[in-house]
Amino acid sequence: MAQPLVKKDDDRDDEADYSPFLGIEKGAVLQEARVFNDPQLEPRRCSQVITKLLYLLNQGETFTKIEATEVFFAVTKLFQSRDTGLRRMVYLMIKELSPSADEVIIVTSSLMKDMNSKTDMYRANAIRVLCRITDGTLLTQIERYLKQAIVDKNPVVASAALVSGIHLLQTNPEIVRRWSNEVQEAVQSRAALVQFHALALLHQIRQNDRLAVSKLVTSLTRGNVRSPLAQCLLIRYTSQVIRESGTNTQTGDRPFYDFLEGCLRHKAEMVIFEAARAITELSGVTSRELTPAITVLQLFLSSSKPVLRFAAVRTLNKVAMTHPMAVTNCNIDMESLISDQNRSIATLAITTLLKTGNESSVDRLMKQITNFMSDIADEFKIVVVEAIRSLCLKFPLKYRALMNFLSNILREEGGFEYKKAIVDSIVILIRDIPDAKESGLLHLCEFIEDCEFTYLSTQILHFLGIEGPKTSDPSKYIRYIYNRVILENATVRASAVSTLAKFGAMVDSLKPRIFVLLRRCLFDSDDEVRDRATLYLNTLGGDGSVVETDKDVKDFLFGLLDIPLVNLETSLKNYEPSEEPFDIDCVPREVKSQPLAEKKAPGKKPTGLGAPPSGPTSTVDAYEKLLSSIPEYASFGKPFKSSAPVELTEAETEYAVNVVKHIFDRHVVFQYNCTNTIPEQLLENVTVIVDASDAEEFSEVSTKPLRSLPYDSPGQTFVAFEKPDGVPAVGKFSNMLKFIVKEVDPTTGETEEDGVEDEYQLEDLEVVAADYVLKVGVSNFRNAWESMGPEFERVDEYGLGPRESLAEAVSTVISLLGLQPCEGTEVVPSNSRSHTCLLSGVFIGNMKVLVRLSFGIDGPKEVAMKLAVRSEDESVSDAIHEIVASG
Amino acid sequence: MLLAVLFANSEGNILVERFSGVPAEERLHWRSFLVKLGADNLKGVKNEELLVACHKSVYIVYTVLGDVSIYVVGKDEYDELALAEVIFVIISSVKDVCGKPPTERLFLDKYGKICLCLDEIVWKGMLENADKDRIRRLTRLKPPTEF
Repeated sequence: MAQPLVKKDDDRDDEADYSPFLGIEKGAVLQEARVFNDPQLEPRRCSQVITKLLYLLNQGETFTKIEATEVFFAVTKLFQSRDTGLRRMVYLMIKELSPSADEVIIVTSSLMKDMNSKTDMYRANAIRVLCRITDGTLLTQIERYLKQAIVDKNPVVASAALVSGIHLLQTNPEIVRRWSNEVQEAVQSRAALVQFHALALLHQIRQNDRLAVSKLVTSLTRGNVRSPLAQCLLIRYTSQVIRESGTNTQTGDRPFYDFLEGCLRHKAEMVIFEAARAITELSGVTSRELTPAITVLQLFLSSSKPVLRFAAVRTLNKVAMTHPMAVTNCNIDMESLISDQNRSIATLAITTLLKTGNESSVDRLMKQITNFMSDIADEFKIVVVEAIRSLCLKFPLKYRALMNFLSNILREEGGFEYKKAIVDSIVILIRDIPDAKESGLLHLCEFIEDCEFTYLSTQILHFLGIEGPKTSDPSKYIRYIYNRVILENATVRASAVSTLAKFGAMVDSLKPRIFVLLRRCLFDSDDEVRDRATLYLNTLGGDGSVVETDKDVKDFLFGLLDIPLVNLETSLKNYEPSEEPFDIDCVPREVKSQPLAEKKAPGKKPTGLGAPPSGPTSTVDAYEKLLSSIPEYASFGKPFKSSAPVELTEAETEYAVNVVKHIFDRHVVFQYNCTNTIPEQLLENVTVIVDASDAEEFSEVSTKPLRSLPYDSPGQTFVAFEKPDGVPAVGKFSNMLKFIVKEVDPTTGETEEDGVEDEYQLEDLEVVAADYVLKVGVSNFRNAWESMGPEFERVDEYGLGPRESLAEAVSTVISLLGLQPCEGTEVVPSNSRSHTCLLSGVFIGNMKVLVRLSFGIDGPKEVAMKLAVRSEDESVSDAIHEIVASG
Repeated sequence: MLLAVLFANSEGNILVERFSGVPAEERLHWRSFLVKLGADNLKGVKNEELLVACHKSVYIVYTVLGDVSIYVVGKDEYDELALAEVIFVIISSVKDVCGKPPTERLFLDKYGKICLCLDEIVWKGMLENADKDRIRRLTRLKPPTEF
């Protein structure tokens, strides 16, 4: 019994080891190709040689120009053979070689002959080869035959011509467009594939003519499309028409929706899926329209075919971003997909569940994910980590479970991108959820104890330096930081030294101990580490020779480098070594065309460690620095709030001006950022004349003009106002840009001496109550509300009149108050009749404010609102009511 | 657009690769990406069981057939379902040519025929024929039967 089995195995091994192409070599095959020139052709042998040539080409081998030409000429000889198998190979070979224009002429006559052959298959193949190698001039010669071929009764010939047409449309559109009538006829063909190819070509020919596409879709959706592939195309074209036409406003019906819905009952899965996806992607789709599509997708979720499961879960994942409620019905099916063998499907299922899940299901979900994480690849893990981060921001109360999960996976194996995603997420959570700060920092500390990525270690150390000293017990972080100085490479050691110094500067009680540690670093083997230690020892505990005051120390340690790196680099390159030291103050601080770049990316959210608190805080820091550098404003104190820039000019005008409102306790400073977009002009002595007659409580105290505003190099001018102390005064200001304009010759850059005075009207600017409120979130609103107590609570009811919807009313009140919505309560579920929105923030004078808004809407869309405010001061609660009453 | 059809043996060596609309300098990346994808996921997968993945806006459907793994890559209208259709045609044609799920040796023995089948199925990034019987006839220059 055993013997034959063994023998069989041996046979198999032999078979597997031996390849017919073993030791194949280009030179030898090219030699063999000479058989094509034999007067007595051997079709079998020739086919074998062509196969070898194809194998070489498919392995990425290339032929030189001479080799290719030789093979090509030899192959053309094979047209003499009548063997059909060989002829088929010849067609393929010519396409693979794609001969150059001057060689094509050799085969065109043979191919033209085949194109008119009685044998259909010769015709089809000749068409494909000719269209592959042809150019415009030859195309006009064969156009007549191609048009005939499109309506040929043999579907293979027709398809060959149609697919050729699709390719030729890219290179010779004017010729292919002339075939419209024939293609139109082919769309009606009974052969499924011909219909598919014809529809694709017809749509491409007409794609720029909206009316024609609409007509095409209208006629086909009524008729009978045989091929499922063509039906899918039709669905796509239909959604395009729907997108461009919008809903029928009279009946509220969407054109062609019935067609899409009908396709959900098609027998081909492909068509059903295409229709379901088209429906989910309709703009402003209603839940009534969505339901049937979601139902079929839900069925696909439990299909035995992985492709269908993938397609369905991918589509539902997208729907979950806009209509999470619509997908919740599928949650049970989706949960079973977490264990799907195909990890792409499992990842999509998890991220969808994370989007649709509610607060109560978080714990259960996390348990399932934990098992799942161990056996997926890093790229999938990153997707999951990002989904968990947004879930945590949505449900801040669940931060403990989610943060624990993140710290657990941080300890497991993983590549740089994955670890970075986790660290970024923890940093964002620390920043957005104050309660999560201490535990988050400790997780990061534990991570750097065993972190193989220098980049992440240094970023975390930097972050620790900023956040650590502000915690209740900063000393517990020191051990982790100093361990880095002992155990890590020079880059990390240097970062750790800087972090230690920051703790020393911020926490007086730690200072002596930090000194001991820093002194030890003086003996480090790396010069950068030693230099930093020396520098910090001198700044922190020096005799005043390096920095003079405690504030200077903090500025030095925590201040951002306010010089653009590009400018610093240029200055350093231009610096000639000499007796005179390099002076950093001489580096220009103007950023070229930065405001233009800022405009392009409005509201960009800060992400993780990539830019530690450099997102919004950095602009605040930059503003603070800018203002404190102006002596007139130094006495105003620290700005309470700086608004986002408000545009005072239309886009693409001669002068682009926007304004930032800086609110102080007793002052308001308007910072006008101006850009001159005319190369032929230089503006000098630029000021803004502000008329404050509609802002009675404000009185102008000073104006700081901008000396010169050259082309594309932004500058600032300031106007300061005084206002009553701590009062949220409001008002309207009209603005006029005033300047002296001088002509510039853009070729030589020379400026004319004499200038002309000119003015430019800007848009009005308003200071509103929301300018006196800082958006500061709380992670647990109920706790905050209870602990604030009812002492200064003010409750009142307001009628907001008829409103478009409840959601619109809610968002109007939120923006009027300028407070931070908490716990996702700014989102109003569709069709709800009442809603409660929770807001928090800080009012000018550093007063915490909490607001509970209860909305109700009735039949004629009249909205009523109950406003309950709690704050640390009676006047603040009243002020919030005042804002609503006057808004 | 059907961006690529690729056949590899069990060790990840390329047997056939056809790209369309993929710049030459990106092909090597695609090749190694696909081979790695197969190495990571195809172990223990049954013949013809489809796996699917997406990378940015590009879809990949892949499977094993005998000793050979097959990958098809597409974007836009060639999404996972269209690709499933394409790979189904490819699988049935290869089985038709080889008579069974091929060993590497058998695949190479039938190399020329398989190239012809691919030529009938995909033409410069478009699905042209989807029926194995018709494809078999077309590779022998016989007209299809059904008209």
